[in-house]
Formats: sequence, structure tokens, C-alpha cells
Amino acid sequence: MTAASATATKPAAADPMGGRIQAAIERAIQRNIKGLEYIASSAPVMGATPKDLIHSRGTLNLYHYRPLAEEIYRVPLLLVMATTNKGYIFDLAPGQSLVEYLLQRGYDVYVMDWNAPRADEKHLSLETYVLDFIPDCVSRVQAESGEEDVTLVGYCMGGVLSVMYAALNADGPIKNLACFTTPIDYEHMTMFKRWSDRNYFEVDRLVDTLGNIPGELIFTSFEMLRPATRIAGQVQLWENIWNDDYVKSYRMFDRWSTDTLPLAGEYFRQTTKELMWENSLFTGKLTLNGKRVEMGNIKVPVFHAVAQHDHIVPYDAAKPLIASVGTDDKKEIVLKGGHVSVVAGPNAVKRLWPALDQWLGERSV
Amino acid sequence: MAEQQSPPDPAAAFRELVSQWEKGINEFAGRAMNSDEFSRAMNKATTTSTTMQQQLGELIGRYLTTLNLPSRAEMINIGERLQTIETSLHRISTQLEKISGGAVNSPGAGPPRTKRPPSAEQKGVAS
Repeated sequence: MTAASATATKPAAADPMGGRIQAAIERAIQRNIKGLEYIASSAPVMGATPKDLIHSRGTLNLYHYRPLAEEIYRVPLLLVMATTNKGYIFDLAPGQSLVEYLLQRGYDVYVMDWNAPRADEKHLSLETYVLDFIPDCVSRVQAESGEEDVTLVGYCMGGVLSVMYAALNADGPIKNLACFTTPIDYEHMTMFKRWSDRNYFEVDRLVDTLGNIPGELIFTSFEMLRPATRIAGQVQLWENIWNDDYVKSYRMFDRWSTDTLPLAGEYFRQTTKELMWENSLFTGKLTLNGKRVEMGNIKVPVFHAVAQHDHIVPYDAAKPLIASVGTDDKKEIVLKGGHVSVVAGPNAVKRLWPALDQWLGERSV
Repeated sequence: MAEQQSPPDPAAAFRELVSQWEKGINEFAGRAMNSDEFSRAMNKATTTSTTMQQQLGELIGRYLTTLNLPSRAEMINIGERLQTIETSLHRISTQLEKISGGAVNSPGAGPPRTKRPPSAEQKGVAS
């Protein structure tokens, strides 16, 4: 907290009411000053932990973060970002970066991140992501690290893709699979399922008309899940604008959530039909290039972190992962927080990150 | 003796009000949107809007052609070709680094992979 904000919160001990009025006035002044600063200032810098881009192919970027520990675990981690958003949610700012935390705890960290798919990438499909992008990155991580084993860590749809890959590659080289808020049973994605009702939602027409699905459309559908939350957030921002830490945090999360990526048309068509309409990952009927994706084939240790108040992936949609995998070494943790705050922010620092470190550490040697 | 009542805090009351408003609106909207009628209306609006967008795009494209100006699609196409060239350049520079023995891509380069989890280290100390 800055000197200004500290002054603004200091109550006058002798007269509580007087102190409160004084603090309110000082905060009002600070709001005006900071409000002007907010408008004039540039966006916060995110994703600044030193890294090397080791592979780039259209929508796919593979980064290798530079180690921060003198000694690292044998097994490298490959984080798979959700296809709807940018990967800097894993690396918001120093002290609020999952990547930085993992590096400091002695992990060798790689991240699969996404650019907006280009118009000529509208044909990218689930097969491209699961049978091409992930194996390509896994083999590059193996080559770069000199290690055969790799741990996959997937967030949301990144988790879904990781689950599919792990199910189709039961013989390796995956050492462990960790997922955050990963939807498996789409029957419980209530609102998305309702909006994409096959009786009304003309997915073929939409994809055939647009090619790729615009990020604005994806963003709007997320926003519609809680239509008042953005306005309430802005009111809270105004109230807390004297507090530099609050403003910084708000701006980081706001920028990330509005930085929604378009989705490749074919990939969107398939996820709508296969996952949302047929629920075929959960029922075990999903096939990619003729191979059936059976979660029971996953024999490596599995960790799943889910959020208690997740409005995007409700707990019931995420719960079946642990029940469906074919390993005894599996762990689910239900954490306080929402879809994003479970992975990044003060709650994640206290809850998810230490739990993940403890689970991974024992399985990364 | 009764506890001394703290004076009312208008800021806290305001926060509570905003929180209740947010919760109420979200619940109401959630109920309203979780219906066949909403789903039908929303998808009709989306389809209409995308069709209009496409038709408008085609119309503007024809107009720009008349003016001998590039359309957005053509600019995107040029951008994509530039990106492809950048990707190729990156691939070439990576290969060059490898050939010249650059440390970045040397397999296994970096700190030793000997770290043990804290639990294993504690066991080691105990024994």
C-alpha cells in the first residue's frame, strides 16, 4: 500500500466518527487524483518473467522460461493454456505469477500459448490440437530438456486437450497430468448448453459464414453468464481507486479477461457438436482420427483443482475427471474462488500454488 | 453493560448494496437466459447479425475495389504472409543458433536436474 493509501485509511483514534469522515474525504480526493492517473496511465506490464520462444507455428507459441533455481526437478512441466485466452494469466506480475513461483520452487517450465488463429487457420480442429500441437510441443520439450518424461498441466480447455492427449498416449511420455477447472461432463455446463441448443444454434451456418469465431462473441458469452458483475466491478474499482494495489490487480485481470481470443472455426464446430451436444468425452464416444478417447486409459498420476464458485465450469461439470481416469494415484482439491481466481491472484498464491507444488514435487524426480 | 454501538458506515452500506444488486441481477438474468425462448431469440439475433455483417463486408469490398483500395481481407492476407515470413525467419535463426552451439537450445542445458522434494530431503536428514 502506498503512503497516500495508508494515510487515507488511518483513523483518528480520539474521535472515530471524525476519523471516518476525514478518511472518507481523503479517499474522495485520492479517487479524483488516482482516477485521472488511471485514465492517463498505460496498461500494466504482464508476462514479464524471462522466457525464450522456442517454437512458433501460426496460432501456437511454445515458450521456455529461464530457470530461477540453482537445482531443478528432473521432469519438466508443460503448461497448456486454454484456447480462449492468452497464457499470461500464468505470469501476471512478480509475486503474482504461477510460472515465477514454479521456477523459484525448482521446476523447468514450458508454456503452450496461443495467438489469435489466422483466417487460413479456420480448418484447425480438435485433432490438430490434440494429435499435432501437443505431441509436437512435448517432443520439443523432450529435446530441449534432454528428458524423456514430461508433466502436462492444463487449464480449462487446455485441460480438456491435455486429458484427450493423455488418454490417447497411455504408453507415455506423460509422467503426470495436472488440470485446473477442466470440464468433462458438458451436461452440467448448463448455460452454455442452453445457449448452444442444437434446435436453435446454427453452428454450421455461423462457422461457414465467419470462418473463425470472433473473440468478441466468446467474450460476450462469458460476460452473459454474470451480466452485472462487470458493472459491479467498475463500481468497486471507483470505490477502491485510491488503493494502488487494488487498481493494479483490477487492471491485470480486466485486461486478461477482455483479451479473449477468436477460436478456429472447425475447432469451435467440433467442440459444440462433440462436447456440448453429444457430451462424447464424458460418455467415452469421442474419437479423434479414428482413435477412441477413453479417460480410463490414463494411468499416470492425476491432479485436478476445481473452484467452489466457478460460474464458467461448474463443479459438477469438472467432477467426473477424477472418477473417470484409470489410476489410483489421483487427487482432487476443491478450492475457494472462481474460475480465474483459483489459478491467479491472492487466493491462488495461498491455496492452489502450494498444493500443486507439494503434489508435483514428489512426482517430478 | 451494553456494548457501545459503532457508528453506521455509509461506505460499508454502499458496498453491501452493490453486492446485493449484483447478486440479484445475476440471478434474475440467469433465470431469464436459461430458457428456450431466450436461446431461440439469441441465436436468431446472432445469425441475423452475422449474415448482415457478411453482406455488408461484401458490399464494402466491392466499393473499395471500385476505389482501387485494398479491402480488410486483403490487408489481413498481407499480414498473414508477413507473419509466415517472420515465422520462417525465426525458424532459420533458431537453426543457426543450434548450428553455432547456442546455449539456449542445447539439450539439458541449465541447472542440474537433481532437486528432490522437501519430504525426501527431510527423510534423508532423519536417516
